[in-house]
Amino acid sequence: MVHALREAHRVLKPNGILIDLRPALVHRRVGTERAGRFRQLGRMYESLDDDRKANRSVALVLRAGLFNVEWRTQFDCRRVMDSLADFRTFVDEFLTLERDFPPHDWLIQRVQRALETRGRAKKIVVRGPLMMNVLRKRDVGA
Amino acid sequence: MGIEIDPEQNEVRALKRVTNWRRERVVEIGCGDGRLTLRLARLGAFVHAIDPDAKLIRTARTKLPRRFAKRIRYHVGQAEHLNHANESFDLVVFAWAL
Repeated sequence: MVHALREAHRVLKPNGILIDLRPALVHRRVGTERAGRFRQLGRMYESLDDDRKANRSVALVLRAGLFNVEWRTQFDCRRVMDSLADFRTFVDEFLTLERDFPPHDWLIQRVQRALETRGRAKKIVVRGPLMMNVLRKRDVGA
Repeated sequence: MGIEIDPEQNEVRALKRVTNWRRERVVEIGCGDGRLTLRLARLGAFVHAIDPDAKLIRTARTKLPRRFAKRIRYHVGQAEHLNHANESFDLVVFAWAL
């Protein structure tokens, strides 16, 4: 990750901006939503190790004087799905990304049960904030 | 319908606060199927979008609207070895990629 940040520094014009946009270091909340109301069914248990590693890499290049922090922010992000199959696809993606991702069948079953209860159509919603680091390139020679 | 990410476009709102994207030269790293790339192009940026997954790049190319054909270039590539000259871009965006 540090190599990638150094490479970004190389291709940036003087005073250029690097934006690091990614999910915040928080376990995602899963639930159903109907008429804009979110009902939480559980939390995911992602490892978050890669996110910690990314934070360390950013800290390293800041310490090395390659960038200055211009702005940091965090905001809500929803992932909206219509069907259980979509949610399965979403969960399965973590299996390919994280070696130690634990089984989430319990959560899939909870979602399935919630979808099967009577009532108006629901959406499956995964909520988890995104964070954004905005870094300004520093001239290393300066 | 699949998975809709950030329907409220909070991401775009935050990005708009960073800079005026019009005509800015941008490298987007980890573009995937081009979801964020299209949003950046709509803001007016010229985007070189990179992802190591050739299948995702193929998908992104097929989903590229004609009106953005001159604003977006998709490449298979690695963040650690960008195939670009020194000091050639105004912005680099790591899109859920660090």
